[in-house]
Amino acid sequence: MDATVKIALAGEGGQGVQSVAGIMVEAANDGGREALYIPNFGVEQRGGVSVAFCQISDQKIGSPKFKKADLVIALSDRAVRRTRQYVDKDTLFIYDASLKGLENELPQDAKKILAIPALEIAKNELHPRVFNIIIMGAAIEATKIIGMEQAKKAVEKRLGYKFAQNPKLRELNFQALERGARLVKESLA
Amino acid sequence: MADKPIEGEKRVFMTGNEAVAWAALAADADIMYGYPITPQNEIMHYWTRLAPRYEKRFLQTEDEISAGFTTCGGVLSGKRAFTATAGPGNVLMQEAMSMAEMLRIPTVLVVQQRGGPSTATVIYSQQETTLTCFGGNGEGMRIVYSTSSHQDLFDYTIKAFNIAWKYRFPTFVLGDGYQAKMRESLYIYDPEGKGMAMEKTMPFLGQEGMPGVDREPAHLRNTYNTEEELYAVISKYVEEYNKLTPEVVEYQAEDTDDAEIILLAHGIVARAALAATRTLRSKGVKAGYFRPITLRPFPAEQLRQIARTAQKFVVAESAQGQLLKLVQEAIYGETVPLETYLKPGQGITGEELVDFIDSMINGKIKGKLNSKINGKGGF
Repeated sequence: MDATVKIALAGEGGQGVQSVAGIMVEAANDGGREALYIPNFGVEQRGGVSVAFCQISDQKIGSPKFKKADLVIALSDRAVRRTRQYVDKDTLFIYDASLKGLENELPQDAKKILAIPALEIAKNELHPRVFNIIIMGAAIEATKIIGMEQAKKAVEKRLGYKFAQNPKLRELNFQALERGARLVKESLA
Repeated sequence: MADKPIEGEKRVFMTGNEAVAWAALAADADIMYGYPITPQNEIMHYWTRLAPRYEKRFLQTEDEISAGFTTCGGVLSGKRAFTATAGPGNVLMQEAMSMAEMLRIPTVLVVQQRGGPSTATVIYSQQETTLTCFGGNGEGMRIVYSTSSHQDLFDYTIKAFNIAWKYRFPTFVLGDGYQAKMRESLYIYDPEGKGMAMEKTMPFLGQEGMPGVDREPAHLRNTYNTEEELYAVISKYVEEYNKLTPEVVEYQAEDTDDAEIILLAHGIVARAALAATRTLRSKGVKAGYFRPITLRPFPAEQLRQIARTAQKFVVAESAQGQLLKLVQEAIYGETVPLETYLKPGQGITGEELVDFIDSMINGKIKGKLNSKINGKGGF
């Protein structure tokens, strides 16, 4: 069971965690690997914490949900509280640096905890719309489930119809991917 | 318009609901009747998107009682008809499925289990096992396939149509909310391309020729005047059901020959059980795995053989002992001790099964270790 990479992405409804989870697993599948993705969902139409459970492996994957993740990314204070149950000594826990006052809420036993300023970069450097793509960049750098080129291809596949109308969006999304990856690379260096 | 929905075979990455819709198309189903309920909605959504391209039909009814009966009606008219539901919808459909048992109508019903009882959660459970196997005021004379992957959903949805029409018992594909909503890879194919011919369908009424002269009259009857009449009919059904059992039962087993501990699970929980079995083997524990694929009829003989050599059975399910009851009935009289890992309405992972068995071996679960099958229920 150990060869499987397990990722939990969590944010507020609308932050786009389900979209990037979908893009990542599809890219892994296109690359010939086994992937499994299940969104959590409840009776609510919108709002609430949204969690995406992703697994990537070279073999068929077992149960769709898991107890502990290799990577948890939490993008709101509620998401931090919701996902710390998936953290153990082998988990990299990433949260957005804009979340304050969480000192007592963060998981205690993570392998490593990183605060990355994704929200701020999205707002001030790039565009709020690519916030989730920054997160995707961070996730693939942290787990290496797919390479940067594969990631770009996957984003192109999903958003190509928008890029066709406005080619600048392509550049913006690719920058977001690279910026997200760099955030993690520099923090882990 | 393409001639066939799927040419040859191809690898796809999709949700289970989508896989079911493709399977129904590949099986050349004519019509789906349905009423929306989470988590099976997308079966309807995909079907309504795909079906018109291949001259297939869809009817949304006013509720599940109606969806069940219109499915029966579609089948009676000779159409390869199906429906899909979950939870409270499955409860309502039992009325029609009970009639399908009585009139021997080969309906196909795909169930994506959600939490229960009542509205409960829209997410997942294995709490519709008993309902799907034995719902209605009858004897549970139906065929129930419990799937554990998208490949299963595709394969067994196609198979369900054939088995239903071959044996004329209502047939069920029992999935769950996880399978409905998750995405994973599978191969979809044209059954004919694999040498699988679809069972022919035909109208139950209005066949050619003079009834009673050229052919047997189609006498569809679900009301009987005397106890004796009913008893004779049901006895004949029971006999036919018992006869089909060895032809229809399916199961999956791994490492059971020398196993001391057998992990027993069905549906998606079987994936956790298989993963746990392999992990335990790698740690030197003599673990084995058994998964009934058909819950009705149940692979009782096969399980009984294993019960004679194993030292312990562990039944794991996302329900409070619904598979357990099937297991207990199947191996009644054997003395293998039985442990349970029951989580009604919640998923089960391979890791937690490994932990559970670790603690069992280390004697940390006191009092349960010596429990004998006949003395202990699931509660």
